[in-house]
Amino acid sequence: MSCVLVKVLFFATFRKKYGVKELTVNCDGTVKGLIESASKILGEDFLNDVYDREREKVRDDLIFAVNGRNIKDLGGDVKLKDQDVVSIFPPLAGG
Amino acid sequence: MGNILKVDLTTGTLRSEPISEDIAKKYLGGKGYAVYLLYNYLKEYESKGFSPTDINPLGPENVLIFATGPGTGIPGFPCSGRYHVMALRSPLTGSIGSANSGGEWGPFLKFSGYDMVVIEGASEDPVYLSIVDGSAELRSASDLWGKNVFDTCRILSRRVGGKNISVACIGPAGENLVRMACIMNDEHRAAGRTGLGAVMGSKNLKAIVVSGKKEVPVANRDVFREVSRRCLETMRKNRVTGEGLPTYGTSILINVINTAGGLPYKNWQTGVNPYADKISGETLAETYLTGRRACWGCTIGCGRVTSVSSGPFQIIGTEGPEYESIWALGGSTGVKDLDAIVKANHYCDEFGMDPISMGSTIAAAMELNERGYIPKEDLQGLDLKFGNSTALVEAVWRTAYKAGFGKYLALGSKKLCEIYGHPEISMSVKGLEMPAYDPRAMKGIGLTYATANRGGCHVTGYTVSAEILGIPEKIDPLTPEGKAKWAKLFQDFTCVVNSTVNCLFSTFALGAKDYAELLSAVTGWSLSEDDVLRIGERIYNLERVIINKLGFDGKDDTLPKRLLEEPMPEGPAKGHIVELEKMKEEYYRLRGWVNGVPTAEKLKELEIEI
Repeated sequence: MSCVLVKVLFFATFRKKYGVKELTVNCDGTVKGLIESASKILGEDFLNDVYDREREKVRDDLIFAVNGRNIKDLGGDVKLKDQDVVSIFPPLAGG
Repeated sequence: MGNILKVDLTTGTLRSEPISEDIAKKYLGGKGYAVYLLYNYLKEYESKGFSPTDINPLGPENVLIFATGPGTGIPGFPCSGRYHVMALRSPLTGSIGSANSGGEWGPFLKFSGYDMVVIEGASEDPVYLSIVDGSAELRSASDLWGKNVFDTCRILSRRVGGKNISVACIGPAGENLVRMACIMNDEHRAAGRTGLGAVMGSKNLKAIVVSGKKEVPVANRDVFREVSRRCLETMRKNRVTGEGLPTYGTSILINVINTAGGLPYKNWQTGVNPYADKISGETLAETYLTGRRACWGCTIGCGRVTSVSSGPFQIIGTEGPEYESIWALGGSTGVKDLDAIVKANHYCDEFGMDPISMGSTIAAAMELNERGYIPKEDLQGLDLKFGNSTALVEAVWRTAYKAGFGKYLALGSKKLCEIYGHPEISMSVKGLEMPAYDPRAMKGIGLTYATANRGGCHVTGYTVSAEILGIPEKIDPLTPEGKAKWAKLFQDFTCVVNSTVNCLFSTFALGAKDYAELLSAVTGWSLSEDDVLRIGERIYNLERVIINKLGFDGKDDTLPKRLLEEPMPEGPAKGHIVELEKMKEEYYRLRGWVNGVPTAEKLKELEIEI
């Protein structure tokens, strides 16, 4: 299994809830693997907040971006590489 | 149906006319009804041999309309605490003038006994309009002229006394005919765009104070109660309208848009701001935020109450800044000191100026200056360099009073850049400075900016919602494919919201079907989702007919050269430009327009009589 280091950035309520702005996570290069690795550091809540276990994908209402591109625009299943930056936002809007 | 108060400032006469149900059925109220009235003023001028292009936006011939809609002021109608203002011509752009504001003024106008106020002519001396419990009169404002927005609101509120009082007014910027002057209400709320405060200033109209207790009629109360309950529940459960916006306000977007590579930095030279987090909603919440403030009847409450407790930019008890003002006064100018941005935003409110056009014009001046295009003597010591917080704050008050270099800034970025020989540096469309989304990173908003009737505007059709936020569904921001359909849909639906008159933020949770049900319940008409979207399309097309008469067509539906020719230098949109012509071709086809002009067939299909 490959091992990659990914920088994860947290915003809005995630930043507040988990008390962290940025985390470097060692994972297997899959999005699910990244979230599971991060949840080992942040707790089980994080997995539930970010991942839809039933549908086996990132929760639909979040903005989950890899290097600034929403994974929904990348086809959903992204292979992460070393030094990729993942940004996670709760549902939000403005104008 | 309610009443329209028509005020002729030249003669000092006031008259009341009933709202026409036939017109309301075709154009709702708010923006739509105002567009219909403005079109008829144009026709009348033309019949007298007066060309629309000869209308001086700051002359007595300009007409200013304050309008509420069928939803305004009804308890339980989601986010119905707003009003819309329109003018035949904007002094900033020469196109139609249009702006929208929250707070309490809209509902309180309705409680006072009128749905709309139409201002014609110009007064010789400063006056204000008082509308209290159905009684309207013009009074001298000679003692108010020169006062700032906060003082004017407080003095007039005290003068009227009692409950349900709201003041819409101009500050020094409007009096001084600054082209980006706002109409302010309830101290910190603004009908911000297209310089309508200068139109009030040109008419010597300082303020309109409204107060009253009249109940707003609802045609079918039982049905409305049920639809309202369902819609409010939807909004409460929605994670955007029920959690995200109440918690952080609009400035939470700073980091999102920057992550997508579309937060314009240093006058749009790139879409990535390295200091975005320093000026973000998260940072604002941790530092200067002290509370929040909701508009009348709003369950969201996105307004921010802030204070900077010490330092050179100290300000105790202000409101904002919200996303657009943080970006324009901060991101676009390269200023990363949030306290300076809070102060600059406070000055915009105090003097009555649009922070988007203000910040963008300062940013354009900074680029002109850094490229050596402004003679040093013109600046009179104002050190306009990107990132200079002190210069930012000084430039704002100088603009309001047209002091020193402020007299050039007061013209807006388009005229400023033309004066210094580099119009390409103005990041504006039809003369209106674009807001905080670089369309090289989200192509649909580029099409919206280009085709918006009032100029570079995001709230004419907020495609960012689908492109970045995934509401109502996620579409890829970097492709031009399919964007024409979305731009048209958002524009038409937004006309419905602005004619209802409601807050656009409700649409993060509610759709056209919800609006059709709400409107049917309060009016007693039977409206479907298709019906309301058709009304929206009708309004957008009639507004387009007006701007065609003012001299705008397909040549003006464009974007600054930078966005069309200079690839984004970095970030997720690196290498992208806006493929505008491709999107515009499809858009015109869907609209039934040729070169930005609605065809006779399209107007007939929409039952627009011209």
